[in-house]
Amino acid sequence: PRPHAEPPVLLQPDGATGPGLPHKPKPSMASSTLGGLTTSSTFTLEQPRCIFTDLQDDVVIWLVVAVPEGRWDAARPRGEHALAYMTLNTTLLNYPCPKPPGEIAVLRVGSETSCAEDNTRPTCNGPLPGPGPYQVKFLALMDSDPVAETAWSDPITLRTGTAAGVLVPPVASSRSRLAGSFSKPEAVTVRRYNTHHVYDQPAARL
Amino acid sequence: MAKSGDGIRILQGLLVFGNVVIGMCGIALTAECIFFVSDPHGLYPLLEATENDDIYAAAWIGIFVGFALFALSILGIVGVIKSNRTLLLVYIILMLITYAFEMASCITAATQRDFLTPNLFLKQMLERYNKSDTDNNNDKWMAEGVTKTWDELMLQKHCCGVRGPSDWQEYASAFRSRHKDADFPWPRNCCVMDAQGSPVNLDACKLGVPGYYNSNGCYDAISGPMNTQAWGVAWFGFAILCWTFCVLLGTMFYWSRIEY
Repeated sequence: PRPHAEPPVLLQPDGATGPGLPHKPKPSMASSTLGGLTTSSTFTLEQPRCIFTDLQDDVVIWLVVAVPEGRWDAARPRGEHALAYMTLNTTLLNYPCPKPPGEIAVLRVGSETSCAEDNTRPTCNGPLPGPGPYQVKFLALMDSDPVAETAWSDPITLRTGTAAGVLVPPVASSRSRLAGSFSKPEAVTVRRYNTHHVYDQPAARL
Repeated sequence: MAKSGDGIRILQGLLVFGNVVIGMCGIALTAECIFFVSDPHGLYPLLEATENDDIYAAAWIGIFVGFALFALSILGIVGVIKSNRTLLLVYIILMLITYAFEMASCITAATQRDFLTPNLFLKQMLERYNKSDTDNNNDKWMAEGVTKTWDELMLQKHCCGVRGPSDWQEYASAFRSRHKDADFPWPRNCCVMDAQGSPVNLDACKLGVPGYYNSNGCYDAISGPMNTQAWGVAWFGFAILCWTFCVLLGTMFYWSRIEY
């Protein structure tokens, strides 16, 4: 059995973990006809259909969510000062290509509230703590080795509630604005998790 | 001096006709106001929570004024036919009092239109819907009324929020402090329900897939009936008052011409 956590793997800013890792198109947000495309703690992406077409079916596709540096809420059970986390893992079998027409194939990031406070589930797809901006990419792992990944997405900013003569609940507001040219985190440390057991969680994907 | 017989007869006929119309309009006003007070759309708790339910006060006054008009019109008819100065004096005085009340009711109802704005209901919905930590009994009563009314409104009129479901996203609210945004981007009643009263597809509702949640706002469903009520009481009342004014003038002229 593999150890529960292995030494972190550094992903370079341009997304390559080494020479020759294929670069895929960046993740995109779901259709804007969805009323709940972004809320104050979730956002919805298109599933990565027909993107990892050259890989085997038992490859595990993870979603890497990167937080702007220094904004991570300390209360999150993901290790102190984590700049990114991985979640929504599933096998490539669950992203069949081509997508049947009329089907809504989306991934809702932040939908799992049941495990948000659970320290034993670091890959929980819990609600996002702040408005971001976040950047995501898909990472394909075969036995904990990266075999493919997409480019980083455009920054995704969540909705922020304004007061309509009503008190706004306290949100961590002492953050400084990122420079406009910021597009990727400087360095991403990713803890390798025990992917020996792959959980198929269709409910968690929504 | 007495007018010629024909002139008097015509005046009497006109006054009797005028009073008959007043009587019928009085009954109609009573019926209309009873209909409004019975609150067929169930929106009264929303007005009660704004602490300004003047259009209901205007409707209540309308009920009694309508009945008074009916009774006074009968008195007027009897007085005109019998040419009795006392009866007609009583009629004129009481009619003036009723006139004043009806004028107050109409003006109250007419000025409410500027009060019933979307922001009023939005603020109330955000502050009171699903509020759990209420200060006192009155607050609790209002919060429960608002919550129940909104739940039924969203269910029956297939709407969500005042302007739309984004109201629940854009503003902080008592609802938001009780329910996490990820589980409840908007209340459950905004979802399209099946016959058993549960959402057809809860995940699609949370995502905001068109067809699985109510994407339009409830403001039209609220302001429509309320404005109808305000306008109905106000303008029908003004019409009655115009007619009654003419009849009163005629009655006063007739009274002054009756011989002792």
